[in-house]
Amino acid sequence: MLLSANAMGPRLRFGLFTVNAVIAAFLLLPILFIVLLSFGSSQWLVFPPPGWTFKWYEQFFSNAQWMQSAFVSLKVALLTTVFATVLGLPTAFALVRGKFPGRDLLYALFTLPMIVPLVIIAVATYALFLKFGYTGTLTAFVISHVIVALPFTIISIINSLKLFDQSIEDAAVICGASRWQAILKVTFPAIRPGLVAGGLFAFLVSWDEVVLSIMMASPGLQTLPVKMWTTLRQDLTPVIAVASTLLIALSILIMLVAALLRRRAELKG
Amino acid sequence: MNAVVRENQPSSVLVSLRNLNKHYGDFTAVDNISLEIRDGEFLTFLGSSGSGKSTTLSMLAGFETPSSGEILVSGSSLINVPPHKRDIGMVFQRYSLFPHLNVRDNIEFPLTLRKMTTAERQKRVDAMLKLVQLEAFAHRRPAQLSGGQQQRVAIARALVYEPRILLMDEPLGALDKKLREDLQDELRHLHRRLGITIVYVTHDQEEAMRLSQRIAIFSHGQIVGLGSGYDLYQSPPNAFVASFLGNSNFLRVKSVANASASFEGQSLTTVPVGGLTAGQDVLLMLRPEKIRALSVEAAQQTALPSGWNEISAKVREIVFLGESLTCNVVTPGGTELTVKSLGSGLQNVQPGADVRVRWAAADACLYDQWNDADLSKGAGAH
Repeated sequence: MLLSANAMGPRLRFGLFTVNAVIAAFLLLPILFIVLLSFGSSQWLVFPPPGWTFKWYEQFFSNAQWMQSAFVSLKVALLTTVFATVLGLPTAFALVRGKFPGRDLLYALFTLPMIVPLVIIAVATYALFLKFGYTGTLTAFVISHVIVALPFTIISIINSLKLFDQSIEDAAVICGASRWQAILKVTFPAIRPGLVAGGLFAFLVSWDEVVLSIMMASPGLQTLPVKMWTTLRQDLTPVIAVASTLLIALSILIMLVAALLRRRAELKG
Repeated sequence: MNAVVRENQPSSVLVSLRNLNKHYGDFTAVDNISLEIRDGEFLTFLGSSGSGKSTTLSMLAGFETPSSGEILVSGSSLINVPPHKRDIGMVFQRYSLFPHLNVRDNIEFPLTLRKMTTAERQKRVDAMLKLVQLEAFAHRRPAQLSGGQQQRVAIARALVYEPRILLMDEPLGALDKKLREDLQDELRHLHRRLGITIVYVTHDQEEAMRLSQRIAIFSHGQIVGLGSGYDLYQSPPNAFVASFLGNSNFLRVKSVANASASFEGQSLTTVPVGGLTAGQDVLLMLRPEKIRALSVEAAQQTALPSGWNEISAKVREIVFLGESLTCNVVTPGGTELTVKSLGSGLQNVQPGADVRVRWAAADACLYDQWNDADLSKGAGAH
């Protein structure tokens, strides 16, 4: 490394440390703030909280609407994970292994949902579902979420497929396995970390998605972020802070699992 | 495993490649190759990268489909047989072990696919572990093994189902020199013990010489030389092989009569070659160890034996290489020669000294056709 920590003077090192600390605080303080508020006794989200309580958690877990929207969120996220992974796997194989004209164009198309503003996708899918009478259904939620989750699973699987030495699969074939057997018994186990990471990303994308969900939601069917958004427009109850905290907690948990899996894969390889 | 030594038995043809072609668009990777591989022989495809040797091996394995031509094993066509049904073993350059399985499970993999009984599988895997001396490592993962150990596992995995043919695609290329030589010896012994047919691909001519009974030299998608290492070295079929294999000196001479030629105005004796017209350009090839350099005094005292030639030259430089002394000399006409056999009185020869260079006509090879690009050492040498 040209610019190593030891080669820098103490002043430069201190300066860099300060800048990093400020950036980290800028990113993390809102999260810390909302988590603390969820335990605060004030009904008006006063900071610092005058006292501490679990009563907003009690309210959250005893409220059927909140619980139902959390359950819908979980269901949508799980279904999105399954479909995005199942569809992403063959797509990634075709994009890595296939030799056909327009392959790079196809790759660009598949990753487009990461670049196109969400609102545009939301309006487009909404218009389409309206035409076919699918708005406010679980199907509409899952399909729209799969659209934005798919690039994450595809890219993650593509990366692990590219790292996988195809001659290992060829070795299985020459040993007597058909191409399918070889992929199932040798290639899949080898790319599993990428598969799992892609699935976790898909879950996260769906879990905290709000723009598409607002369009897809109906009074009877809404995800947790939608419920938070609609509640926020009516009153400023600390239950929203509870919902936020739970969203954050699950996201962090999933990121930890992903990091752990990656670490294990690296140790093995 | 049988331990019959089959090295010198005349054997039947196992594999026939007939007019094999492989095109990628406009590029011809393999250009009309025909070759017969004998049962039980160790045959090496030798060539630089892009010469078509690996593509030919790939077609034999079934990973590439020939554009045209036929591959026969024991008389029946392999063209429409998918790779997993060809009953061929293969060892790859990067070992290609299954990373999630331990050594034992890697070797057992082909047997599980063949639905053998547990007892039979165990017996065969044990025998293979013993053969490649990895009994103590049976429960390790590939990542916990050295490169040499990994390649031994790959060999065991390729042999455990007793295929008719073992293909090896630069299997030792990723190993360092010492380990490579050890494994070359192991491989040669293994071949002798098992009597299996091995087709080996390498760009390393020393490795090809060390291992194989026959070598097929590839260049631009064609086989330009086929034979034992000895024959290919001593009497190369063409100037490319002469230049590619080992070191060589080329003299541009003009044919005078049936068994004589002229070189820079001097008359030379050659072996009789039919079909040459007087005045035709001919290329004369001499191996450095076949040329003898003598001091001028020694040459005056020693009569030239019959059938030998002598030309004069000046010493350019002398390089000591441990087991041999190499002397570069240049003729009055500017032709450079490398000489490895130094006569008496030349132990302390200095650059610039006049010497006499001698060789037996029978040791020279003559070519009436050649491509000047083939003569440079860069033509496929590594």
